[in-house]
Amino acid sequence: MEADAKQQLRTLVMWILALAAIAVIFALILGGGDDAGTLLSVFATRFLGIFIEAAPFLLLGTLASGLIEAFVTADDIARLVPRNKVGATVTGAFLGFLFPVCECGVVPVVRRLFMKGLPMSVGVTFLLAAPVVNPVVLVSTYVAFGVGPVLIGRFVLTILVAVMVGLIFALSARPQDVLRARTLAPVMGGSIDVLPRRRSLGEGLSAALRLAGDEFFEMGRYLIIGTALAATMQTLVSQDVLLALGRGPIISVLVMQGLAFLLSVCSTVDSFLALAFAGAFTTGSILAFLVFGPMVDIKSTLMFAGIFKGRVVLYLIVLPALLTMLFAIWLNLNVVF
Amino acid sequence: MQLTDSFHIDLDVARRRQQTNAWAKAVLLLAMGLYFVWVIASGNLPNYINERFAWLSYVAAAVLLLLGAHGIWRLLRPARSPISDDPLLQLVSARQEEHRPISWGVLAIVAFPLVLGTLIPSRPLGAESVSSISTSAVSAANVAEFQIDPLQRNVLDWLRVFNSSSDFSEFNGERADLIGFMYREPTFGENQFMIARFTVSCCVADASALGVPAHWAETATVEQGQWIRVQGVFQVGSFRDNTLPILQVESVELIDEPAHPYLYP
Repeated sequence: MEADAKQQLRTLVMWILALAAIAVIFALILGGGDDAGTLLSVFATRFLGIFIEAAPFLLLGTLASGLIEAFVTADDIARLVPRNKVGATVTGAFLGFLFPVCECGVVPVVRRLFMKGLPMSVGVTFLLAAPVVNPVVLVSTYVAFGVGPVLIGRFVLTILVAVMVGLIFALSARPQDVLRARTLAPVMGGSIDVLPRRRSLGEGLSAALRLAGDEFFEMGRYLIIGTALAATMQTLVSQDVLLALGRGPIISVLVMQGLAFLLSVCSTVDSFLALAFAGAFTTGSILAFLVFGPMVDIKSTLMFAGIFKGRVVLYLIVLPALLTMLFAIWLNLNVVF
Repeated sequence: MQLTDSFHIDLDVARRRQQTNAWAKAVLLLAMGLYFVWVIASGNLPNYINERFAWLSYVAAAVLLLLGAHGIWRLLRPARSPISDDPLLQLVSARQEEHRPISWGVLAIVAFPLVLGTLIPSRPLGAESVSSISTSAVSAANVAEFQIDPLQRNVLDWLRVFNSSSDFSEFNGERADLIGFMYREPTFGENQFMIARFTVSCCVADASALGVPAHWAETATVEQGQWIRVQGVFQVGSFRDNTLPILQVESVELIDEPAHPYLYP
């Protein structure tokens, strides 16, 4: 029942975003003085440009996540984590390199890790860092921005924020304070798999392809809505308006962080959307978009709500939001890019 | 007995719904893969992304076709023997096996790029997409650009060479042969225009417009956005309140849009 309600809420949010995007597009096309056909053609080019560049990374991400789902168990990950608390937390930040999951793949993995009794801090750090600190995102960010402040800043800031939040949890939390009773239940002896069985290689590959196909749709919709918004903005909003928002060292960070939360675009492809803003917005705000978005957005909040208690969900949103904001604003004010 | 029957009916309905949904998914994946193949084969890919990353689109096409083909193969292969005779267990295992169906709204959203890509003719960004146009390249020229024969330099090469110069008068009398689109703004001086190009480092999301200023008495005869090949000689002059080398046009040839409309910095 609860899962249904969440699914409905998710569908509702998605439809509202989609309808809003379409309404804005039509309103602006009809209201604008330019020839509507020309505008539509420019919009199509800008939209397809981002989509065609991003689609391969979305597909690689979903393939990786399908393969992990099919072949890797939480035991395999738990075995790699050191005993020491700080060491374990820092390891959590880099586990994504071995298990490349995006923000939607990471929540189920983390849930299983908690069930295996992994320390809270490792799970939280992994949850926040893995969507960025992995090879697919490394390559897509490189393709979009090349080697420079954005690529380096994205990885350094993500690891900093994830480890800091992880350590805060390490100080206080015990699993029973943090996790919902339902997530804990299997640890007490229940089972989530109705028909547990070991998969053969062929079965595993087939399952991985099916999961990848499904995830392409689940994630693709956010990419497509986000891309439509970015392309609309580039086609219709004047450079002056964008610069007015994007040049302020503080307002630009707030705008981009809000946008990251709303758009919920997968971490493997968000670089290409950020690129559309990079001309007009401060580098700090672009970093905030690329660091905060993969950690927290509408869809990951809904998934957090499935495994963590309400208060903890709030911490998981507010702590990364504040830390990212502070870092980004500090960079805007103190560093010349 | 009654209970078992109603389970059988539920199972049938659920199966049929999942089948339709699974067909829609598989066909959409295949169609998306074919769209990528078509964009590549038709030579339209350079309208969207930097040529350097074309291989990524080949990967996308291959993966999409694989996922679509796999989906159809799963639908067409003979049904496997049920895991258990118990209908409840069958239903549960079917649910697990099939995952949850994707809603029709999501399918429609994912079909949107296909609709846009097939219904609207593919065109590169042109004069109507210029929001601001620059007369200087972001980076200065490296050694390679100086070694290019001046007549082979494109718009970007020239702007980079200008960027690394402290005295523009050194270009007076240099000949150039450039391809770009006609770009004019009302604020330009009389008979002035720009030979404009977009540069794209990743995809059109980062496209920015550049242009070499030019002077030609018949500027008004060529339509805004028309692709042209311009030959002429540089002479330092004033353009948009800056002192810049301005191409004094000797000949203008109307040409078709080039296969690679963007320059790659």
